Amino acid sequence: MHPVQEFLNFLILGLTRGSLYALIALGYTLVYGVLQLINFAHSEVFMSGAFGSYLVVNIFVDDGSRPPWYGVLAILILGLASGGLVGAAVAWTLERVAYRPLRRRGAPKLAFLISAIGASFFLSQLAGKMFNRLNNNNFPTYFNQNKHVIDIGGVYVTTIQAIIMVSALLMMLFLDSLVSRTKLGRSIRAVAEDAPTAALMGVNIDKTISRTFVIGGALGGAAGFLYGSALFFSNTMGFIPGVKAFAAAVLGGIGNIRGAMLGGLLLGIVEATLPTAPWVKPGWIGIQWTDVVAFLVLVLVLVVRPTGILGERLGRAA
Amino acid sequence: MKRRSIEDEARIANLKLLLSCLAGGFVLALMVGNQEGTQRDFGYAFREAIFGPRIILFLGIGVLLYLAITFGPRFRPYLTRPGLRPLGAGALTVVVSFTLLKWTDSPQINTGKFRPLADAASATDGFDSLARFFFGSATSVFPWLLLIVVTVIAAVGMIRRSVPIAYTAAGLALLSGIWAEYTSSRISDFLNYPSHATGGAVAMLGFFTIAVASVVSARSQAEVADTDGFIDKILAWRPGMALVALGVIVGLVGVFNATWFSPGDRNANLSLTGTMFNGTGLGGFSAAYLGWLGYVLFFGTLVVAAAASYLRHRVLAYVAVVLGIASTLITLIVVHDFTGLAAQSKFDGAQGAWDNLGTGAWLTSAALSLFAGGGYLVIKALSSGQVAVFDSDHVGTGMRRAAPGQLGAATLLIVLVAALFFPPTATEFWQTVLVSEIGIYVLLAVGLNVVVGWAGLLDLGFIAFYAIGSYTTAYFTGRLPVQPPDWLVLSPLAAIPFAVAVCLIAGVALGFPTLRLRGDYLAIVTLGFGEIIRVIANNANGFTNGPRGAFNIPAPHIHIGPIDLKWGESALGFWYLLLVLIAIIVLLFNRLEHSRLGRAWAAVREDEVAAQATGINTTRVKLLAFAIGASTSGVAGVFFASQVGSFTPENFVLNNSILVVAYVVFGGMGSLPGAMAGAAVLTWLPEFLKDQVPAEDRQMWIGALILVMMIFRPAGLIPARRRKAELSGFDHPASAESTAVPAGEGM
Repeated sequence: MHPVQEFLNFLILGLTRGSLYALIALGYTLVYGVLQLINFAHSEVFMSGAFGSYLVVNIFVDDGSRPPWYGVLAILILGLASGGLVGAAVAWTLERVAYRPLRRRGAPKLAFLISAIGASFFLSQLAGKMFNRLNNNNFPTYFNQNKHVIDIGGVYVTTIQAIIMVSALLMMLFLDSLVSRTKLGRSIRAVAEDAPTAALMGVNIDKTISRTFVIGGALGGAAGFLYGSALFFSNTMGFIPGVKAFAAAVLGGIGNIRGAMLGGLLLGIVEATLPTAPWVKPGWIGIQWTDVVAFLVLVLVLVVRPTGILGERLGRAA
Repeated sequence: MKRRSIEDEARIANLKLLLSCLAGGFVLALMVGNQEGTQRDFGYAFREAIFGPRIILFLGIGVLLYLAITFGPRFRPYLTRPGLRPLGAGALTVVVSFTLLKWTDSPQINTGKFRPLADAASATDGFDSLARFFFGSATSVFPWLLLIVVTVIAAVGMIRRSVPIAYTAAGLALLSGIWAEYTSSRISDFLNYPSHATGGAVAMLGFFTIAVASVVSARSQAEVADTDGFIDKILAWRPGMALVALGVIVGLVGVFNATWFSPGDRNANLSLTGTMFNGTGLGGFSAAYLGWLGYVLFFGTLVVAAAASYLRHRVLAYVAVVLGIASTLITLIVVHDFTGLAAQSKFDGAQGAWDNLGTGAWLTSAALSLFAGGGYLVIKALSSGQVAVFDSDHVGTGMRRAAPGQLGAATLLIVLVAALFFPPTATEFWQTVLVSEIGIYVLLAVGLNVVVGWAGLLDLGFIAFYAIGSYTTAYFTGRLPVQPPDWLVLSPLAAIPFAVAVCLIAGVALGFPTLRLRGDYLAIVTLGFGEIIRVIANNANGFTNGPRGAFNIPAPHIHIGPIDLKWGESALGFWYLLLVLIAIIVLLFNRLEHSRLGRAWAAVREDEVAAQATGINTTRVKLLAFAIGASTSGVAGVFFASQVGSFTPENFVLNNSILVVAYVVFGGMGSLPGAMAGAAVLTWLPEFLKDQVPAEDRQMWIGALILVMMIFRPAGLIPARRRKAELSGFDHPASAESTAVPAGEGM
């Protein structure tokens, strides 16, 4: 295969991976926007979305069945919805249990981080106890994931890649208009900008924070479904994508919604393409160095722009 | 929004509370049990946990919780009576001893816990009848009945404020405590198994706590308990008396009851050991010790220490300190003598000195050192002129200032004595855990506390420095593919300065480009750094030996003139080495906290801009925090490498970095004892839980514990006194920080 073809294919792979990172990163960034806290348990929201949607999808399709295209579409929507719903529910509970009591007590910032880490351990192990601790759970296959839907001269997009990119794009557009157009979005931005003043202006802070968690959780849960469909799902699946998405959120400027989208895509692309980029000699950067390169890029960006590519503020950017 | 009436609001809040309590019970039902789903049937464990009569039990727990929250406040006036809290703690301790702890290590009893042991023992004829009765030869619920009766009588005495009932309860509790310990020692005699199990002793301590609580309530006139004030008062009344009292309990068990020598299956206490070594050519001095000197030393030191404490007499106190330390050393020398003699004659397969020991000598040594500690506290109090008089006018309030440092010093001494003399009495398993889990992570937490707690920089890649320290050790001992020059191949301990230097450089190298990042940006960069180090270690085959890691790293060895110390055989040796390292580092850091640099860290942590404005070179200060924290974990890395002998990059995964941060915050950010306690508790817990829950569920319980702890005590186990605002508070003014997002405002 020609190096350019290969590079473009890896670019598409990177875009796919990046859209998943972006979806998860949005959860980090939304919460960071309103609370200035890293929600370390967000990776478990992602994980629970995968499990939740599996439980639903598994009822409707059998492994190896081949429903017609509208059936596939319906199941996909069902999976996204159920994953989003479970993710939202978990995120809502998380806010209630691990964040709100600490907020009421005026706990130090790191206490939130640690309570979230505790919740993260708890959730991932509880899921392991309830379901299983295997590392190779798969969704039933009900369509050919690897069919090339687009194939231009050896540069192709597979079905699952297209599904991930399209649904991620739709969700991001939806979120963007939600935050910039609706009343809820305005209150989120207000809380992010200045919480005490927003409270004085009549914004119910508790409710806004709760809903922010729900929105972020829904996106994360839907991402869990997509990730689980494309690869696998397990009770520890959240950790690595979670860390990457967190890095992506920081890369774009944490607290900044468009920054998180950009950061996610960028990180995905950098990771996937760097070892195979045409200007890199083959074998010069082995695949095992991907993480190192990704983090080095992150460090370099932050050294040049200490608050991420697009800057910090949720209020300002959207 | 529609306005609801106040009654409606209250009703809804009440309903919400009930629902969340039921949800809590539901989650508990999911957590308890050992089922797991399969790939075919995901819902199996869920159904097992939820459908079935057991769910009623768990929902019942939820309802009880709800009732306690709803109606608890009504009983508040009773619950704050003096003595009730310690009573609760004591009763809980006994419950823990009866349910969770091992009462014997003997393989004859399957888990060694109380229940199976009691069932077996109470049915065994020929076993001591008093002990059998304790285990429930009459009725199998007897031990629980005993606990309930004692607790109820004590509680009644406290709530009704009846002095005779309280004294009755105290007497009963005292007897029960002695009975429990007696029973436990009869068990090890009967099973002829040198037991390291703590169940009996813990039950005794629990009962004694109940007894003390009852006496306190009988003697107190206060309506509301002031526990801290009371503790301060006791400590200020006769400095050191608390240590002496503790020493008496420990020492009496040690001298009269516990096993001193247990070759094979015999459990010989002090006098029996004396008889055994009678006429075996044991040195005259040691023979005298086993015969009579041991008792004389114990009681002599006890009398001197008690007198020094009671009379607050300086000279007596010095005598107590000298006598206590000297007789501790004598005890150890004697133990070395007679075990050495036993080993020479290959007595029951002894390998060398210090073999076949029971707990007796160590308990006695602990008691003697506690007496010395008591003397030291007297001297300390006298030289700072802070001897207060026991005076009921000062209940609680004014006494706080009367004894500054007494509580801290007493706790420190007790911890030190426990650290010195407890490990030898533990099983080999626990000794290993103590060294390779607890000790090392305590050291790491102390190091990270500098970065996170004092300087307020969130570092999520701390394990990287630990890895660098370990690999540096492997390099300088010549165990990596890259060899150092021949003249530079070192013993692990000599590698410490190099590891510290390398970690310092790495800390500065990481810090220099990144320190202008703030808060969470720094967190992700450090996290990335940790991953980079690990991936490099995993992939740079030519340098780090890749995923196979380094192996055959020699154990430390000190050979200077006449001193020839070798480590390697037992975990115990490593423990004392580690103890010395921790002690040195903690001493240094304790000085550091209140130094100019420590204050500069606090300033930077609270408000970086203001700190800069007052002339602090913030970059330098932050770099120093990174470098000092990194060098500490470098020391830990050296120790780790030489202790385990081989390691792989898998030892340095990201999860460990996160865990160390959790230890520091769990213990109490910015507080040295807090960070150490947090690390100790959270590394001990998984090993303890091994006996209680299915192994793979341990992390779940720990996660839940961390979560609950942060909800109810966000400042940590032992919060730092000085710390008022939070970490990375330099984004916002400290006071506004906690209220940045007020809860429950708006409409």
